[in-house]
Amino acid sequence: MAVIGLVLLVSTGACLPGLALVIASNSPFDHAFAAQHGADVTAVIDPSRTNPAQLAATARLPQVSAAAGPFAETTVTTELAPAPQTPGGEPLGPLTLAGRSSPGGPVDDVTLQSGHWAQQPGQIVLSSTGLAPGVTDGTRLIATGLPGKPMLTIVGIATSVTGSANGWVVPGEISVLQAPGSPGSEEMLYRFRDAANAAAASADVAAVTAALPAGAVRAAQSYLSAKAQETSNAASFAPFLVAFGVLGLMMSVLIVANVISGAVVTGYRRIGILKSIGFTPGQVSAAYVFQAMIPAAAGCIAGAVLGHLLAAVLLGKTASVYGVGTLGVPLWADAAVPLAMWCLTGIAALVPAVRAGRLSAVQAMAGGHAPRVGRGYAAHRLLGRLPLPRPVTIGLAAPSSRPARTAVTLAAVLFGATAVIFAAGLGSSLSHVVSGLSLTSTEQVQIQVPPPGSTNVVMRQGHAQSSESVSAALAAQPGTLHYAAESSEQASVPGLSQRVSVTAFTGDAAWTGYSMLAGDWYTGPGQAVVPAYFLEQTGTTVGDTVVIVFNGRQIPVRIVGEDFDTGLVMITDSRTLARAAHPLPPSWYYAELRPGTSTSAYVQALSTALGPAYQVSTNNDTRGLPVVIGLISILTLLLAIVAGLGVLNTVVLQTRERTRDLGVFKAIGMTPRQVIAMVVCSVAVTGLAAGVVAVPVGVALHQYVLPRMAAAAGTELPASFLNVYRAPELAILALSGVVIAVIGALLPAGWAARTSTASALHAE
Amino acid sequence: MDAVIELSKVTKGYGSGSRPAVNLVSLHISPGEAVAVMGPSGSGKSTLLNLIAGLDRPDSGTVTVAGNRVDTMSETAAARFRRRDVGFIFQFFNLLDDLTVLDNVLLPAQLAGLPRAQARARAAELLAALRIEQHRDAYPGRLSGGERQRVAIARALVNRPALLLADEPTGALDTRTGDEIGGLLLDLNRSGQTLVLVTHNPELAARYASRMVAMMDGLIASDTGGEARGGSPAPVQ
Repeated sequence: MAVIGLVLLVSTGACLPGLALVIASNSPFDHAFAAQHGADVTAVIDPSRTNPAQLAATARLPQVSAAAGPFAETTVTTELAPAPQTPGGEPLGPLTLAGRSSPGGPVDDVTLQSGHWAQQPGQIVLSSTGLAPGVTDGTRLIATGLPGKPMLTIVGIATSVTGSANGWVVPGEISVLQAPGSPGSEEMLYRFRDAANAAAASADVAAVTAALPAGAVRAAQSYLSAKAQETSNAASFAPFLVAFGVLGLMMSVLIVANVISGAVVTGYRRIGILKSIGFTPGQVSAAYVFQAMIPAAAGCIAGAVLGHLLAAVLLGKTASVYGVGTLGVPLWADAAVPLAMWCLTGIAALVPAVRAGRLSAVQAMAGGHAPRVGRGYAAHRLLGRLPLPRPVTIGLAAPSSRPARTAVTLAAVLFGATAVIFAAGLGSSLSHVVSGLSLTSTEQVQIQVPPPGSTNVVMRQGHAQSSESVSAALAAQPGTLHYAAESSEQASVPGLSQRVSVTAFTGDAAWTGYSMLAGDWYTGPGQAVVPAYFLEQTGTTVGDTVVIVFNGRQIPVRIVGEDFDTGLVMITDSRTLARAAHPLPPSWYYAELRPGTSTSAYVQALSTALGPAYQVSTNNDTRGLPVVIGLISILTLLLAIVAGLGVLNTVVLQTRERTRDLGVFKAIGMTPRQVIAMVVCSVAVTGLAAGVVAVPVGVALHQYVLPRMAAAAGTELPASFLNVYRAPELAILALSGVVIAVIGALLPAGWAARTSTASALHAE
Repeated sequence: MDAVIELSKVTKGYGSGSRPAVNLVSLHISPGEAVAVMGPSGSGKSTLLNLIAGLDRPDSGTVTVAGNRVDTMSETAAARFRRRDVGFIFQFFNLLDDLTVLDNVLLPAQLAGLPRAQARARAAELLAALRIEQHRDAYPGRLSGGERQRVAIARALVNRPALLLADEPTGALDTRTGDEIGGLLLDLNRSGQTLVLVTHNPELAARYASRMVAMMDGLIASDTGGEARGGSPAPVQ
């Protein structure tokens, strides 16, 4: 009975996170928005045009369901302060800071990811959105452009689902961080009774604007823009999280059915005794079902607690991947999963209990827990002829005596091995995706050109050089293999509301290695390469000509290729835009290094050559890959553990059923090591078979899920990103089933080896 | 004569507070003896047999069988000892239902790593000697009780053990079949096989054993007949 409780604990504990992942993958933004009381509208207020009483009155407008603020805000330009490991000076760009005394409130309940809320001047909590690499609790920032260059220490990282600010400080700090002479600004956060679409949100903003003096509302941003951005990100990860969730659910159900029915079968003899002392078939069946249900109830409750805690950890990671700050387990799931598992226990117990109830008392006692007579005999006979140690062949033949249980065990290991194979491919494909997007293998070194009017201290002190000088410095480096200048511009396409980000290269940029899905790289001005999302939004295909509007000039551009990228972007030669703006100021230079060149030495040499005005760095943009890989690893490990527990349960049942045989084996001289070998071999073939079957299943799941992830992100995947499995790799992955089975069997095999021979011989 | 079994002040109990199942028992059995250990249920005779076979460990005292200190052996050493030096016959045969008669008999030899041909020759010899060679490919479930016990005897002898232990070997058989099996054990003993037989049946003991050790409440109440078979005088508790 303890086994039943344990199995239900583990299965419920695994099932709940599985369901939570499936739920979280359905509209994660909406869930996070509801959980964090996200602001439907963030209104920027001019405090000189209104007063706190008028602002407070807007909270009572019929359209408004909740309001928070006013929070004083300001925008500061910051850079990293020098630290023991870093020289500092790296710009973090302009940050919009709000003064808030606490993260909570009726609107925009900011979720702390780490650290604590700002409690005194000089402390800042940064938004996790767009956090620069290496910036963490304890990092210090310098607010440049302000008298005295005030220092801020990061004491926490937090998420606002609606992105109400880039950072938060104590309210009194805003006045310190405000540039002298700049106008004050405040933000009001509103939740409205109806803000389901842009029209409703606009009407709500109009109502607030009308309720305040003219000019008081400087700007207003609806949550819909944040939602559009986050949903595209979240949707791309949903397919793989759903895949893991479903695998977990199915495994849990299988294991419960297997163990409960097995536990009832092992109790046949007891059922026979009950019948012999006068229990009716119905009473016997009911007694046995309830006997299974009581420890199952305890297991389900404990499993729900365990699962909730586990789900909280997983959802924390998932929220990070989705970029929604926080995700929680719905209360109904906390209740439904243990209840469903308990009902499943009842069903799984009922079938063998009813069957046992129909047996005569003598049949039940005699048939007992032994496998059906004759089953598996042929396997024993055939395998006994193999030139293998006898304990091994006896173990290998064992699955044939319980084909149904073997099938269920095979299915559990199959799911676990499928998860491993799928995860391996997913990790590999995502690495390709990240590499394809960040171009780390080609654009190894990046040089940031100081923007005009830069407030960065170090940049200001340096002297920006002409693009010819930068090119000359790059060409002069012996390690330079290729280099190109990139200008980042914004253009529009008639008929599209969204702006198009145009990446315009000066010089040959074919070496940058953008992954092409169709067509070719551009060969001259007037040609462009765009991703699938651009084609979809503009209704064009490769070979078509699209007109873009840049600096008020219409420029026809022929689409010559489709590349792997996301968003409404275009890559072209800088001469394409030259008719509208000449010369285009480069914002970045990229360099590919000759093989064998030390990247760090190259970066140092180039930095010296260009001077402090240029930020030369290694391109190590991982685009959050470690977080995603971490989540995949945790999920895979969890599923493999659940599969291993499925095996453990099977082996426990198996050894329990054959305790007497075990005693005989030991009595006639089977050593503990031979017992372990026999028990482990009893599931090894099942594990191997499951692993072999899992190879095509895992690959198929990968081939099914990845394109859907890409489609959700508005792109397609190059074949090379999908065809990541190599034959030797697959051969190793096929062994994952054996590994799961062997690890799952080792513990009960050890128990079997340690069982007292004398007591095993007397087992019934 | 050297003892094949030497127990010295052996005590074994199950659970604190209760009377030991075997209490300070000393016993000396010489090679070739046929000893019947007798006593009512709960007298400690099966525990004594388990201790001799290395299936259980004494709480105190020493157990030496065929020159091996069984009480201090590791589990692995005990398993090797059982397969090499001891043949065990159970009341309810304890054959493995999913193995054929031949495979059941072969199993201890295979566990001991005996070459396949040699093991098969030995098994065939035993099956013929015990007149069950016609059932070599049958499964135990299809055999009569007497035939099953013959298979169990063949299995117990396949590794030519120094000692044959039998726990109520006729207890699950009808009288005629029991007599057959008893006669078989007697024949084995006459051919030099040391035999320790546990039974609660005095008639069976008198017929097939030359020495009778009676147990009562974990103690040896009497030990008779040892001298007649040339065994050493047995110390009596």
